[in-house]
Amino acid sequence: MISQNALHHAEKCRFCWMCRHLCPVQHQTGREVNTPRAKGLLLSMANKGTQPFDKDMAQAMYECLLCDACTNDCATGYQPPLFIREARTEAVVNELAPEAVMKLIDNALETGNIYGVEKPSYGQDGTDVLVYIGEVAAIQVPQMAKNLLAVLKKAGVSAKVLANEPASGVMLGDLMGYTEEVRQQAKACADAINAAGLPVVVLDSYDAEIMKQKYPEWGCEIKTDVTTATAYVAKLIASGKLEAKAGTGVQGACHDDDRLARTFHEFAPIRAMAKAAGYEVGEMFSREKLAKSCGTAVAYGYMPALVEKIAASRWEDLKRSGCAAMLTASPQAYLCLSLCVPEGKALVDLYAALV
Amino acid sequence: MQDKSLMFYMIRSELEDAVGAENVSTREMERAVYSVDYFWLSRKWQDAGETGPMPDIVVRPGSAEEVSKVLKIANYYKIPVTTWGGGSGSQGGALPVAGGILLDIKRMDKVIDINVEAGYVTCETGIIFATLEERVNELGYSIMHLPSCLTCCTVGGALAHNGIGILSTKYGKMDDMCLSLEVALPNGDIINTLPVPKHSSGPNLIPLFVGSEGTLGIMTKAKFKIVKQPEVRTHHAFLFPDIHTGYQACREIVQAVKPSIIRLFDEAETVSIIKKIIGFAKKGSFMNLTLEGYEKIVEAEKEIVLSIAEKYHAEYLGNEYGEKWFENRITFFYPDHIMDLPQMFGTLDTVATHDNIEKIYWAMKHAVEDGFGEYGVRFISHSSHWYEWGAMNYSRFIIDNPPEDPEEALRLHNRIWNAGVRAALANGGVLNDHHGVGLKLSRLVKEQYGPALQVLQALKKELDPNGILNPYKMGL
Repeated sequence: MISQNALHHAEKCRFCWMCRHLCPVQHQTGREVNTPRAKGLLLSMANKGTQPFDKDMAQAMYECLLCDACTNDCATGYQPPLFIREARTEAVVNELAPEAVMKLIDNALETGNIYGVEKPSYGQDGTDVLVYIGEVAAIQVPQMAKNLLAVLKKAGVSAKVLANEPASGVMLGDLMGYTEEVRQQAKACADAINAAGLPVVVLDSYDAEIMKQKYPEWGCEIKTDVTTATAYVAKLIASGKLEAKAGTGVQGACHDDDRLARTFHEFAPIRAMAKAAGYEVGEMFSREKLAKSCGTAVAYGYMPALVEKIAASRWEDLKRSGCAAMLTASPQAYLCLSLCVPEGKALVDLYAALV
Repeated sequence: MQDKSLMFYMIRSELEDAVGAENVSTREMERAVYSVDYFWLSRKWQDAGETGPMPDIVVRPGSAEEVSKVLKIANYYKIPVTTWGGGSGSQGGALPVAGGILLDIKRMDKVIDINVEAGYVTCETGIIFATLEERVNELGYSIMHLPSCLTCCTVGGALAHNGIGILSTKYGKMDDMCLSLEVALPNGDIINTLPVPKHSSGPNLIPLFVGSEGTLGIMTKAKFKIVKQPEVRTHHAFLFPDIHTGYQACREIVQAVKPSIIRLFDEAETVSIIKKIIGFAKKGSFMNLTLEGYEKIVEAEKEIVLSIAEKYHAEYLGNEYGEKWFENRITFFYPDHIMDLPQMFGTLDTVATHDNIEKIYWAMKHAVEDGFGEYGVRFISHSSHWYEWGAMNYSRFIIDNPPEDPEEALRLHNRIWNAGVRAALANGGVLNDHHGVGLKLSRLVKEQYGPALQVLQALKKELDPNGILNPYKMGL
């Protein structure tokens, strides 16, 4: 079944409850099976032969955002997403994955994205940096992609975007684990980026994560610098290439997206962007490394109702903070948070605010 | 209940009508995760490839009214109902050993009201305690209930076994913090305790349910007092020559001032766990102490504490180790930091008056070490909750290489528990301080109460004549 390493993590998590309070899925459903410990326990039971790894168990493995809040909390360093992701591979290989998931996988294998559509081209030639747009922004949140490009132009940065930008592999990797198919997508993406020979600015932190963490492991390292768009734009602000705007008089709180917060521990840039955009920066109680997830584009693809509830819960956090606006520079967060903007509150694309 | 019978499906459809079909499950995978809680034996069972106790149906009510409907159905058909909050209890109290309905209350997770002026918060009992605490923290307040299971237990679970947190010496335990309760009785009636916990208007109903482990009713809402976060919180550490002087000094301290934390470790725990986590490596009895509140008062309390510690020849270790302990207070409980299988272990916590607590320490230590030396048992202990009148011991036994066979392990496990608990009972202690009775200690309840047990039995018989609530637990 799953690897010995993943099983070791599952066995360690099966009797540990310490991170359950941070699981956004468990918070919404209240189901015991939606806790990291239950998923570890089920895989341990499957390994011991006391429970079958069947469609029900496979379904449980997909009721997770892979937001990494559990890993971030673990004082020892155990990683539930490690065994959950491998269990997803097992589910796909044995044709046990939910139908809705399989449809997304088929789409991603065919087109590189879960939507099964041709990715719009943002192709433009530039000489300073290569901007990697990613599937979610390109297809679901196109205005954010355009706004980032506009911000770079305003700062005098000559940006290139690949005409036929290949998928990074992150969508497929979250859906079926790190299989050979994912590695092939990654390799094609890395080859295209390397051919451009420019430093890379990545709009979606999910793409940035796989590029920076998995590509080197898979022997397809990107040879130029890979920077998150938020970090890059914050540097433009700090260097004076992007001027701060006048105060809006609006207090906003930054949503720290899952992978930016927990993979890259990157919190300051988005706040610098918010300040430069003229917002008074407030804070939600759950923030930075402990920020509650608001959902992901992939999870929204196969469990939209649950993701909407998770996003609504994040809006509740904002309401209690007293802030009027939710500020984000993440296409995935923007997509999920836009599902349920409460009356009297605003969802702000920080790139748009900086143009 | 007999699975796959006509009646099974009839009852399931009634339950679905009560709470919604999406909140009722008979799927094996969903039921299996309730077969293991934090009880060592349930873990051992699973680890050995055995199947633990599973419910027939998982029911997840979203309100007190839905709990009431479920109980009416269960009471009519005489179906066992075991309530599950976080499942993080160490006594097997949430294990569905009689099958039937597993009532998972985590959908009941609303914060109903926070009133900082009056100083209380009201919530549903399925909320994870850490989530409730965060909501209060957002406003600069705290319930001051910070147990090691803060992040995983529900409010209902903490109330059910009358839990305690690390700040208890100043702020008390669950029964000190709870102001009122809403409870669903086994017949489905929803009752409220009186609006306040202190009065002369008849017996207080709160203690009937707090600590009753789901055997007398299901607590559905609770009101707790909240307090402002302290102006200062200062941590200190001391080293006493031995546990005896430590006990004496701590008694004198809690009879003079009000620290929030006092943790006195015996010499064995000082050289093992404290060394591992805090990095302090000296022989003697380590003690960390925390003072908090208004700075002026804390300063005055510190002077008194230092003078008492000096009187008992304690070495003052300054702030560093106390701060380290506080920073790592939860680290102790993560995998690889806490005992784990294949080890056998258990926490024989008990509480007694000051004149008995040290006697219990030695009696329990001898009972465990002398009685089970052939298994290479180790005994470590600390005292972490103190009152003007007494203190508790958090004594633990550890066997690194217990029998592999689960049945043989169960026998040894229960023999050690019997010996340890009887040593406490014989010297003025009780079955347990703050983890509860559950399945683990149920058999010993009669020994503890003696003829007084009839009071509890009468209550149980009157409130739950069909015995549906949490069967085989608490000796009821």
